[in-house]
Amino acid sequence: MKPLFVMKKAIVSLVALLFSVISLGAFANDAVWFGNKNATRILHINSTMDLASFEPILNEFVALYPNIRLAYRDVSTQDLYFLVMERQKEPVASLAISSAMDLHLKLVNDGYAQTYQSEATTLLPDNFKWRDQLFAFSLEPVVMLVNKKAFPGVLPEDRQSLLQTIRQHGKEMTRRIGTYDIRQSGVGYLLASQDARQADATWGRLLEAFGNHDIQTYCCTHEIIDDIASGKLAVGYNLLGSYASQRAQEDDRLKMILPKDYTLMLMRTAFIPNNAPNARDAGLFLDFLLSDTAQQMMQTQDLLFPIQPDVNNLNNLYVVSAPGPTGVIELDQQLLVGRDFAKQKRFIRNWEAALEIKEE
Amino acid sequence: MWPKSLHHQNLSEEEITALNKAPSLRFRFILAGVLVISIIAALAVNLVFDYSRKLADLSYDRLLRSALLQMDENVGLIRNEVSIDIPWSAFATLAQADEDRVFYKVESLEQGYITGYEDLHSLPPNPPVLNQIQFYNQEYSGEMVRFAWLERHLTDPEGAQTVRIILGHTRLSREEMASSVTRRAVEVVVLIALVAIALIAIGSHLVLRPLHRIERALEDRAMGDLTPIDINTPKETHHLKVAINHFMVRLQTNLEQLENYTADAAHQLRTPLASLRALAENARDNTSPERQHEALENIVKQCDALGQTVTLLLNQAVVSHRLQTQRLEPVNLLEPITASCREQAVTALHQGVLLSLDCTIKTALVLGDSFAIQQMMQNLIENAVRYSGADMEHASEIIVQVQEFDEFYRINVIDYGVGIPDVEKERVFERFYRGRYDMAGSGVGLAMVKDIVDHHSARILISDTEPKGTTFQVDFAKFRMGSRSV
Repeated sequence: MKPLFVMKKAIVSLVALLFSVISLGAFANDAVWFGNKNATRILHINSTMDLASFEPILNEFVALYPNIRLAYRDVSTQDLYFLVMERQKEPVASLAISSAMDLHLKLVNDGYAQTYQSEATTLLPDNFKWRDQLFAFSLEPVVMLVNKKAFPGVLPEDRQSLLQTIRQHGKEMTRRIGTYDIRQSGVGYLLASQDARQADATWGRLLEAFGNHDIQTYCCTHEIIDDIASGKLAVGYNLLGSYASQRAQEDDRLKMILPKDYTLMLMRTAFIPNNAPNARDAGLFLDFLLSDTAQQMMQTQDLLFPIQPDVNNLNNLYVVSAPGPTGVIELDQQLLVGRDFAKQKRFIRNWEAALEIKEE
Repeated sequence: MWPKSLHHQNLSEEEITALNKAPSLRFRFILAGVLVISIIAALAVNLVFDYSRKLADLSYDRLLRSALLQMDENVGLIRNEVSIDIPWSAFATLAQADEDRVFYKVESLEQGYITGYEDLHSLPPNPPVLNQIQFYNQEYSGEMVRFAWLERHLTDPEGAQTVRIILGHTRLSREEMASSVTRRAVEVVVLIALVAIALIAIGSHLVLRPLHRIERALEDRAMGDLTPIDINTPKETHHLKVAINHFMVRLQTNLEQLENYTADAAHQLRTPLASLRALAENARDNTSPERQHEALENIVKQCDALGQTVTLLLNQAVVSHRLQTQRLEPVNLLEPITASCREQAVTALHQGVLLSLDCTIKTALVLGDSFAIQQMMQNLIENAVRYSGADMEHASEIIVQVQEFDEFYRINVIDYGVGIPDVEKERVFERFYRGRYDMAGSGVGLAMVKDIVDHHSARILISDTEPKGTTFQVDFAKFRMGSRSV
């Protein structure tokens, strides 16, 4: 009975920790408001998306619907997950947007979402929605971002060449690789677990190399990118394509690489929670995200990768042109496996062990 | 020309109301058919509904079983601690039920909760058997969920545990499959039912068509046409056709009889009328009052005779009507015989004839019509009286005998009159045949006797009486319960 007791205690402390993070994170982060102050209808959105990538779309929406005012809160993927569960009875936000597909799918599976059907959602292909409750509006590649000046040797094409560089230039690469802390970042965990699923051996070797070279772990994408831009890091692994390409366009030193062996494709998804105070306008916003207007804006204004890239014929970075095969993370029940309690615990433990990070 | 009979269009109002009130054979036929088909269709739909649910459960339970076994394969016991690494493929299997939420729990009886949904407390309806997967429905998280449930032992050198895996998914895909199967089946059943009903409607029309043809054949006939129907009809309506034809033959016979009777009547009335006219002319033309008186006396006699003839005709009409309408029933043969003897005795005596009844039996039951038999006797006796008294100076005698034999009763009417020559014996029963025109008589009486005898299936025989005279012999079959023939 002893190990059980210890384990339970561990769970409790983990949950308590996460809840404290929520209260700090969610309420410290004040909402950003969009639209007319006198607007009668208010729509609260909780999202994991950086405002920079979303602001033009939000502005366009309130321009289109002047009587709706938007309150936008930027939350981390894991905070968002616990926030939805905690505020199940009376949620503040009527729309939850996340890049952690697995957490979102688990919330829907566990009955936290309500069904929404409209012309736009009906047109959405089946593999981009689940149960008419969870909808994907963006499909982006998971990439590596390198600082061309700081990176020793040839720029990597894929995971194998990255491994080779790490081995050849061990010293230069030490403490200069950055990736997500899978314990803090929901999307980081998702990407790591998908890597392990796609190519278990490669993932093991990568993890070993990362551990040997003191990989730096981060909670959030933009911090990794900042450090790459400053030259503190030579390379960032498993970054979200939309943020990486945005910065790579602004900054010549940065180069976004879609791994040639396989490129994971991640969906950004949204759902309307049960008991949402303003489900009607949340639906309107969802329709807008799926509309040609918003999908085109994502491409033309370098914001996101649209879910339906063929809405216009632009040929820029925001049309995915992966050099190798793409592994689209499927939006279905399989995502639950990655979030299985036992599997998650073991995966994180292995990850910690490999990266020689002390258990928190 | 006979006017053609009228068609439906020209039915009288009464006939139309009767037609409207009359129950429709076709309507009943179709109604019964529709009822039966509806019941069968309802049963079929019901069956399909059950079956489609079972079918959906069967096929989706396979998914569930496969996923559960994949999970089970990855359960291990290391240093007496249960570990499970759920394979991605297990849930990829479940993802085939693409919209269904998945719930699961792995626990060990010794170690407790291992992974999955901790608040999922589920027990199968049947007592758990190790290593045996059970499927059942149970509500969880606000929805009906189909669960697969498995318990099994794990052993390693350091210990043993019983691990329990519960895996379930919601019933959305199952219901969808069941309803799509049902919908398809209902479509087919409804189609078949409609086709069947249409066939019944058409079939009823076809089945009743021969009847309409017979109807038309009868309608189209000329008024007096009583010849048999000779249109081709199927077996089923053949009997109807035959019955109609028989009926028409009877009608034809009746008509012929009626015509004969009318001819008889006219014939019998014409002669006395002619003689009356002659007598009356005689009376008119004679100047002597004595001769006139004599002629008038003759007219009165002739009128009496005419009256008798009319009575006879009436009796004949009554008899022939009775023969056609009354059913034969058991009667005592002696009653009409006695009655007619009693009636005729006095009249015969006036003519100088002694009528006697020679009968020793008390009752003689035969199947017959009492009135007709009495008429028969009357005619036979009258006939005998007439022939007895013709040439005789002295009173003669007539004997009516009734004898009993094994199978029949025999009536003999014996006279000692002039007798009938053998040549004439054959012809006396012909209508209007009169042996001797110097004697009174209608020429109808014996024909009527023959009719009555024939109608009773009796026998009549004429023989000579010794030393002279005629004997009429009539044999009636005895009445026996249950048998009507001789």
